[in-house]
Amino acid sequence: MNARRRFLAGMLAAGVIPKTGWASAGMPAWLAAAGTPEGGFVLCGITSAREIAFRIPIPARGHAAAAHPTKPHAVAFARRPGTFALVIDCATGEVRSRLASPPEHHFYGHGAFSADGSVLFTSENDYNWARGMIGVWDATDGYRRITAIESGGIGPHDIKRLPGTDTLVVANGGIETHPDSGRAKLNLATMQPNLSYIAEGQVTETVTLPRDLRLNSIRHLALSKTGTVAFGMQWEGAGHPRALVGLHKRGAAPVLCTAPEHVTREMQGYVGSIAMDKVGERIAVTSPRGGVIQTYDATTGNFVSSHTQTDACGIASNGTGFTVTDGTGGIARLGNGSDDRRRVDGLMWDNHLVPVGT
Amino acid sequence: MRILALLLLFLPVAAQADDHAQSVETIVNEHILPGFERFDSAATNLADTAADHCEPESEDLRAAWNEAFDAWLRISHLRFGPTETGDRGFALAFWPDTRGVTPKTLAKLIADGDPIAESPESYAEVSVAARGFYALEFLIYDPAISSAGDPVYHCTLIQTVTADIAEMARDMADEWNTVWAEQMLSPSADGLWHTDEEAARELFKALTTGLEFTADTRLGRPLGTFDRPRPARAEARRSGRSLRNVQQSLAALEDLALGFSLTDETLRASLESVFARSQKLAANLDDPVFAGVDQPQSRLRVEILQQSIGDIRDVVSQGVGPSLGIAAGFNSMDGD
Repeated sequence: MNARRRFLAGMLAAGVIPKTGWASAGMPAWLAAAGTPEGGFVLCGITSAREIAFRIPIPARGHAAAAHPTKPHAVAFARRPGTFALVIDCATGEVRSRLASPPEHHFYGHGAFSADGSVLFTSENDYNWARGMIGVWDATDGYRRITAIESGGIGPHDIKRLPGTDTLVVANGGIETHPDSGRAKLNLATMQPNLSYIAEGQVTETVTLPRDLRLNSIRHLALSKTGTVAFGMQWEGAGHPRALVGLHKRGAAPVLCTAPEHVTREMQGYVGSIAMDKVGERIAVTSPRGGVIQTYDATTGNFVSSHTQTDACGIASNGTGFTVTDGTGGIARLGNGSDDRRRVDGLMWDNHLVPVGT
Repeated sequence: MRILALLLLFLPVAAQADDHAQSVETIVNEHILPGFERFDSAATNLADTAADHCEPESEDLRAAWNEAFDAWLRISHLRFGPTETGDRGFALAFWPDTRGVTPKTLAKLIADGDPIAESPESYAEVSVAARGFYALEFLIYDPAISSAGDPVYHCTLIQTVTADIAEMARDMADEWNTVWAEQMLSPSADGLWHTDEEAARELFKALTTGLEFTADTRLGRPLGTFDRPRPARAEARRSGRSLRNVQQSLAALEDLALGFSLTDETLRASLESVFARSQKLAANLDDPVFAGVDQPQSRLRVEILQQSIGDIRDVVSQGVGPSLGIAAGFNSMDGD
């Protein structure tokens, strides 16, 4: 089935073909992958009014996406250890190209574009060598694979570009996996996550946390316009770590976001997603394990508030605060109470809610 | 079997707070404490045996090592509490060793005659890769490392590694008896677990992680892919224990699973049945080190064993979890 037919089939199945023709589907504010009750997987565009703009069947479970900086395109990635990515026209919901990871590599589920949009970077596992890699693709030439560079650690997960630059920041989660053994963690005895900055193909700065946080896998990133990097972590040790969220600015020491012990415990050692608000004052993290969302001051790292939402995971900034998706189909605006929670029946929203467009 | 697991999804959820307390009490008293005591005595026996028989080919030494390894596998899935203090879990069981650090580190110690091996106290500073059961397997069974260097130094190394294991085993058993059992049985706001539910959740996680490790790592690594099987990656293949480790870990995980307070007899019966099926497949496999993964017929049998553990995982996540009130949300059990 070609891309367009597949898309149309998905639209028919979903019963969401707009009366005026599919080209008029509303421009989405976000992309999110989801599971369906039949065991299938889709990728959806979601408008700022929290309506489904389009819905595309995908071959396996999705994860996150990378938005093109100028064109209304985004690349949606398979969940690790997936090997596919789809270039989506967000104005129409059409699949424009398909990417496959090279042999002996798989995607980790995240990617980022260069400032001019000409190059796509993807986090990948060169699994027979357990090397974290960044795949480099030519977005001006049908997403041709150009090369791959080392990510500066094992298990690169989220990858973002610092605003106004072509410097990449990569969350090297530190965990070695191999598709032969599924998602099993192979190197907890020696794992060492880091945050790496990469400019012109070279790691220019590597940030690691104190030794007692060695088992805190740095996984997800959110950036302010001024280059503050907020990172969310996942704890692989026993008990509870002293922090699951941190802040970093290039050249400075990392700052851990602290909260009273019982507040940190609510997260159950797991940050699923992280977002920064539009003005760079507040960061929010989700924990689907704890069914909680917490916010922190983006300057001091101090804990601000905690909210509950079952299986909450995807989170992104909206005009005034944050929008959160969950595994029961919910799309909620943070802090507006449960009445504000809009539910899309039959969809289980996946890990990330990815802002697209401007 | 998948259908059975799916049916379990729709069974009524009967989670009570006292169920959690009951589950934790049964598991601590009948699974954890006896398991750590058995390990302590098997590890002490190993160190005592090595004190008298440190030659790698000693049958006494090999028997004591195998017994202690068995006892470790009965508790190795309990990755919390004393096992995680001071990296003990990693030091006892450094596997998988994807970069071959264990043989490299041992070879260097032997080549240098490094005096750090002279006592278990100093040896505790050595890389975790050169400690514990897998390092000892190289020292006893690996053709190159078991015969490398000065036999006197080699003997010291075996005695020190076994004494180091025995020391960790004794400390873990002591700490369970004096501190951790109480912490788990009487959760409190000052304790590591605040509620019975948190303690039960920890035990449930040990069960799911243990099953994942056995299916995906113990079997998945040697299986590799059809086009590229990796028999040399089988766990403890030098001592011929790869399959035995799967059997021992399944027995341990079944003992843990059946410790949960399950009011539903059907669920209990299906748990017993899926574990029994895996054990039967394992017993009939006749391939102790999974050497057959590179031949289609024998490979299929290992794959079937792996799938049968997948069935156990289904019953656990879709039956046991919900009946304990531990829901497997789309994202909450995802880990990404």
